[in-house]
Amino acid sequence: MNHKTIALLGNPNVGKTSLFNRITKLNQKVGNYPGITVEKRAGTVKANGKQYKIVDLPGTYTLFPNSLDEDVVFDILSNPTQKDHPDLVVVVSEPTTLNRGIILYQQVRELGLPAIFVINMMDEIETKGLIINHAALEKYLQTKVLTTNARTGKGIDNLLSHLDSSPGHYYGALTLPERYQDALAEAKALFPLETEYKTWHLLAQEHPSGTSEQHLAQLAAIRTRHGLHTQQLQKDEAILRHDKVDSDLEAIIQKSTNKKLALTDRIDNLLMHPVLGYVIFFGLLFLIFQAIYYWSGPLMDGVDQLFAALGDQAAAVMPEGPLSGLIVNGIIAGIGGIVIFLPQIAILFLFIAIMEETGYMSRVVFLMDRWLKPFGLNGKSVIPLMSGVACAIPAIMSTRNIENAKERLLTILVTPFMTCSARLPIYIVIIGLVIPDDKVLGFSLQGITLFVMYILGVVGALGAALLLNGFIKSVRKSYLIFELPTYKMPDWKNVLNTVWEKSSGFLIGAGKVILAISIILWVLGNFGPNDRFSDPEKYIVQENPHFTPEQVDNEITAYRTEYSYLGYLGRGIEPVIKPLGYDWKVGIGLIASFAAREVFVGTVAVVYSLGEDLDIEDDSQKQTLFTRMKSEINRNTGKPTYNFASGISLLLFYAFAMQCMATIAVVRKETGSWKWPLFQLFFMTGVAYIAALIAYQVLK
Amino acid sequence: MQNKISLDKLKKGEEATIVAFHSDELPAKFYELGFTPGATIQIKHKAPARGPICVTIVKDRTLVAIRTAEASLILTSRI
Repeated sequence: MNHKTIALLGNPNVGKTSLFNRITKLNQKVGNYPGITVEKRAGTVKANGKQYKIVDLPGTYTLFPNSLDEDVVFDILSNPTQKDHPDLVVVVSEPTTLNRGIILYQQVRELGLPAIFVINMMDEIETKGLIINHAALEKYLQTKVLTTNARTGKGIDNLLSHLDSSPGHYYGALTLPERYQDALAEAKALFPLETEYKTWHLLAQEHPSGTSEQHLAQLAAIRTRHGLHTQQLQKDEAILRHDKVDSDLEAIIQKSTNKKLALTDRIDNLLMHPVLGYVIFFGLLFLIFQAIYYWSGPLMDGVDQLFAALGDQAAAVMPEGPLSGLIVNGIIAGIGGIVIFLPQIAILFLFIAIMEETGYMSRVVFLMDRWLKPFGLNGKSVIPLMSGVACAIPAIMSTRNIENAKERLLTILVTPFMTCSARLPIYIVIIGLVIPDDKVLGFSLQGITLFVMYILGVVGALGAALLLNGFIKSVRKSYLIFELPTYKMPDWKNVLNTVWEKSSGFLIGAGKVILAISIILWVLGNFGPNDRFSDPEKYIVQENPHFTPEQVDNEITAYRTEYSYLGYLGRGIEPVIKPLGYDWKVGIGLIASFAAREVFVGTVAVVYSLGEDLDIEDDSQKQTLFTRMKSEINRNTGKPTYNFASGISLLLFYAFAMQCMATIAVVRKETGSWKWPLFQLFFMTGVAYIAALIAYQVLK
Repeated sequence: MQNKISLDKLKKGEEATIVAFHSDELPAKFYELGFTPGATIQIKHKAPARGPICVTIVKDRTLVAIRTAEASLILTSRI
């Protein structure tokens, strides 16, 4: 039997997610709606002897969509063939903004869906100075009105017992203006089976989902004939409803002083202060990044040791041979390479979730919009750009609440310039090799260089945005409007749930790609096309007749790497990277890095035959790699491979190049085509190549 | 009437009633969040260098932020 589907719908900031977590008792799944990356949250709950499927719809103020998130809401509610089309809608609201909740509720009912109404955050009703006449509200809404407090769980059982309710017939509250009646009548003829209000939506939206091309053209023709614009129809509905609901509610709600607002006011005077506001925000950012590095250190060491031990264990159990090599050096090392970033990502998302939950994030948007607008970005771009410092994948996913398509696209395109945590190990190794360990004015020169690399990421992102801003056309005019919620203590359940979701999402999403790449790399590095690979001793002895058997043995791994498929690939691209100051060995690292940057250190370690499970945090092992890399001679130039010029060139290349398959995959999903990820790949790598070329040619 | 002034020109702390809109270009979302004719607003914060403006929609008791560009399209009358 089919379970009943219940949809939770409501404005942002009404505690809908907390309510969802309470109802489903965290028995939920986060996936994507088909074809797009809008997060879909669904869960199940048993009540009244039945099982219900609960769908948590993205927060919205209206059924007229302004963003991808809101497209999903209209699609699910208006389209009965949709898998998640609900049997009952639970409209969630909170006491202060009841009028906006009611507007959404009315739209749902007029679309023809049964709905009940929930007032959440009932605990705040007193401090907010409100008295609601419950019976009058039920009569007005023609449905059951329930009250809950999702933070304490009060009222949840009562809500569950009402999931089977079927409210009676609904008499529409909105009379559409006379001057639209003719156009509406024509539209109705096109859709004889739809409710009047659904038809109105089809007429008042530019691209209503689930509508055929032919119908879209016919609807556009009706609008042209009557000289109508979609925004104007939506605006008129909004004003009509607001006026009506506001005057109707006067008899239902009594208002006195809102104490909550007074507190928010006092905090805002500090946090949104034209000078102090910025000081506090940047101070906080600094603290967050300190915490990310400081707290994640021991955790990362732990992960590293765990995987090293796991690798040793596997190597001990399995007979030596190619299979053991694949599992130990390919799979276990590959997975370890992703898990190691998990602590940083979890800590970053902990802070972001707290900032969102308390309401501070929208203050950041307020402070930053002015400074991002000239670059074609939006105040809301701050969140993806900040998250990009941990990892571009979740960062790009967080762009979906940017309404303007162009600003969203630009944010997606430039976010990968931010210095993500995968670049860090490479920077550490190369800076250690080419920047002297000196102090300038009491600061470590190497530390300053690392800081400059982070600044370079920001400059790269903003510069690229500025450049691309001129080329990408905007369909709609850019605008920004957002609500600043009153400050609240974070709901810790929500915070932990978000951290868990984002971290596990990253692990699984990026993990699959990196695992596949590790295996491919391993295969390419461990097989060769001819007997130079399979029988290296013969050639080594031929070329170096004076070698002792021991020296021959030492040479074998390096020789094999050179004549493996990977070695041939490295030498194949050598002509291209020669002007940047690299040799074929670095080339192998670069090729491998196009899968994921973090592979570089492991790969060059293999090329220099040091074994892949090298730990750069471990000082003695770091020294081994450093000594080996320092003594490397570039056979094209006769100079050390890692000298100042080629080192800077390499740093610049890694700062700008698009070398992350997982990011490309996410961009493809978010933008819906290969056009943008491919553009990004060539654009970013092109910038990287030119920057590295100039740096090397000037410095050499 | 000299009291009519576009929203972006109001100073911090000033209260005003929304009278009209200079243009039809304002997205419907502005009306949905409470910028309707007759609504009373109060300027709460203004970001530096003509950055966003944060206002209270008095009847909803909510804080909403908009850009100066859109604020200049909203005509208000000082209270």
